Amino acid sequence: MAPLSVYRGAELQQVLKLLQDHQGKVCIIAGGTDIILKLREKKLEPEVLLDISGINELKGISEYSKQLADTGLDGLKRITEQTMIKIGAGVTFSEIAKSPFFSQNLKGLADAALSVGSPQIRNAATIGGNICNASPAADIIPVLLALEAEAIVRSREKEETMSLQGFILDKGSVKLLPNQLLCSIAFSSLKENQSLGFAKLGLRKALAISRIAVAAFVEVGDNAFKNVRLASGACGKIPKREYEVEACLEGKAINDGSIEAAAELFKQVLKERLRGRSGAEYKGEAVKGVFKEALRKALGYQNI
Amino acid sequence: MKEISLRVNGEERSAEIHEEMRLLDLLRDALHLTGTKEGCGEGECGACTVIMEGKTVNSCMVMAFQAEGKEIITIEGMATKDKLHPIQRAFLEKGAVQCGFCIPGMVLSAKVLLDENPIPTRDEIREGISGNLCRCTGYNKIVDAIETAAGYLNTGGDSNA
Repeated sequence: MAPLSVYRGAELQQVLKLLQDHQGKVCIIAGGTDIILKLREKKLEPEVLLDISGINELKGISEYSKQLADTGLDGLKRITEQTMIKIGAGVTFSEIAKSPFFSQNLKGLADAALSVGSPQIRNAATIGGNICNASPAADIIPVLLALEAEAIVRSREKEETMSLQGFILDKGSVKLLPNQLLCSIAFSSLKENQSLGFAKLGLRKALAISRIAVAAFVEVGDNAFKNVRLASGACGKIPKREYEVEACLEGKAINDGSIEAAAELFKQVLKERLRGRSGAEYKGEAVKGVFKEALRKALGYQNI
Repeated sequence: MKEISLRVNGEERSAEIHEEMRLLDLLRDALHLTGTKEGCGEGECGACTVIMEGKTVNSCMVMAFQAEGKEIITIEGMATKDKLHPIQRAFLEKGAVQCGFCIPGMVLSAKVLLDENPIPTRDEIREGISGNLCRCTGYNKIVDAIETAAGYLNTGGDSNA
């Protein structure tokens, strides 16, 4: 193994050039809370360690407007403006937890950030790192899947936007070429009748890796679930959308009966998925409670 | 090897580092600031907590080269020459220290907590030290000490008043 060289990136273009010029030899480090363990255990032996934690272009949470082309019922094309929220890949969990963007309807995102590790870990660990590490138990991924977030990836030549769901390929694997860097995450801001909830089952309050995590996006109208998007963490090889359970709630009146039926279905889905694995029985039962808590929180953030 | 400079406890320091070194190794082995402890080495226990740019971090989870140009406070930076920091004094008075291994990290987590929230509730104190594990005390006396320290700091840091 070549001796390790280390660089602190000062600006994005320089980092993208280094990635381009030394393809496959560079390992990116930001918060370091996952990567340093892998380096010490020699699971990773890069030639170059490139620190991106000081790059301003990867920091900050902001709103911007995106134009969407839409064909109306009258067959005419219209351009509508959609407000998007963008989180830089280098934003830490502490910054997400404290951000005024993630209060009220979007508080589920702050809840998920606060459930990570400990204050020390949250001060260092970044959203981009959590995504690229692609752990089955990554806490921020289910909420972003429920928001249908997109990943914005850059190489020296071009910028690409893809769905986060498509970006996460497998446990520990993301769709990133050796010359590309995950730069930010973006999703549509929520309307008044939409909200996000997050709940997690860990073995203790702090420093707990998720045993089960559930994120729930709900859109409410006429006292019914108009639109529901659910995602789970630690319930399979990667965090994933739970389409079957979503479909079971869609259009149903908001009451104990509809929620209980969906919880029961979630249990069956998970028991089937984890069949033959230890803990399947337990997780099947426990997911009901975690799911109901996530849903209750989402509804609570809209005062329903 | 690489030479880096940073500010530690208010002083400009420079050190020769190996590329594989963590901030923890830089502090303990290169700068001989051995008040910072290594416990688990994987970000769970908080014994290696230091304050970097005003925020607590596990120094076992930061590479030394990442600390270039950064402002670091370790436990050695808390007391002045002849006077303990009010948080340290409160820990002694309340019997919050048993074996002592977790205490440097506890004190630094308490400092950042009280800097950001001068009158924390007991629950907020527990949240503030949730990244610092203690195997001896059962935490109650540590929480007592941080409450007492908050009082000292809010009255100008003088416990004899």
